[in-house]
Amino acid sequence: MKENKEKNLEKAGSDKAEPTRDAKVFVPATDIYEKDDAILVRCDMPGVAQDRIDIRLDNAELEISGTQAAASPEGVDLLMGEYETGVFRRRFSIPQQVDREKIRARLHNGVLDIELPKAEQAKPRKIEITTGG
Amino acid sequence: MYWTDTGTWSPFGELRSLQREMNRLFDGYDGGTSISRFPALNVWGNSDQVVVNAELPGLQIEDIDLNVVNNQLTIKGERKSDKPAEDAVCHRNERGVGSFVRTVRLPFAVENDKVSAKYEDGVLSIVLPRQEATKPKRIEIKAS
Repeated sequence: MKENKEKNLEKAGSDKAEPTRDAKVFVPATDIYEKDDAILVRCDMPGVAQDRIDIRLDNAELEISGTQAAASPEGVDLLMGEYETGVFRRRFSIPQQVDREKIRARLHNGVLDIELPKAEQAKPRKIEITTGG
Repeated sequence: MYWTDTGTWSPFGELRSLQREMNRLFDGYDGGTSISRFPALNVWGNSDQVVVNAELPGLQIEDIDLNVVNNQLTIKGERKSDKPAEDAVCHRNERGVGSFVRTVRLPFAVENDKVSAKYEDGVLSIVLPRQEATKPKRIEIKAS
């Protein structure tokens, strides 16, 4: 897990609007899996409460953003700071075959799961071959 | 190979120690230690307690092991692969899996039985109160 030790900062110069608040924007580490009936997007978003997550579907783009709780306990001074908190944000393009009405999301232990079910007509079908007589 | 006897002189001994020295130099390239720096920790403290936070998304509580000995805190754990199904095709895999160990030295010895930890939204937070005996005491100076 050594190479994953640092959070990826969002690269400057991308086409995204810059934040007006003083918060660092991080790119959440993401796994993408595809099953026969759905695509699963799984993002690491530690420290983000469920009500601070915003998932938006705009045309063919899915934007995920989540604000981390500012983790600074009161009455104590920072002795060693190895990570910073801020905002997680990432955009994905959604293929046509996804059934937009049925997208579901779930947050558990800092991991966001988004399930993008495939539309009926996009599911793989086995085609029977009939021998012509 | 009669030269492998450690008591006798070997022409390769010097080379080996040079190699060890070079390895040590390059291993220490990331921040001065060759020890793993995962997970990243934020440590806060005052004269009464220390608070240690770590971002560890996607773990189960039973997979995290915390240990305190005097002023050393060890966080051990494992993130298991959470592939949704055996036949699922993986398009992208950025979330690492595996086990980790991290030890930090705290500024003072802590009350072992009063250490508390919670795991919320993928963030581990440990509160370690200072051992009573090590707390600073104000000494009154009496005028003679």
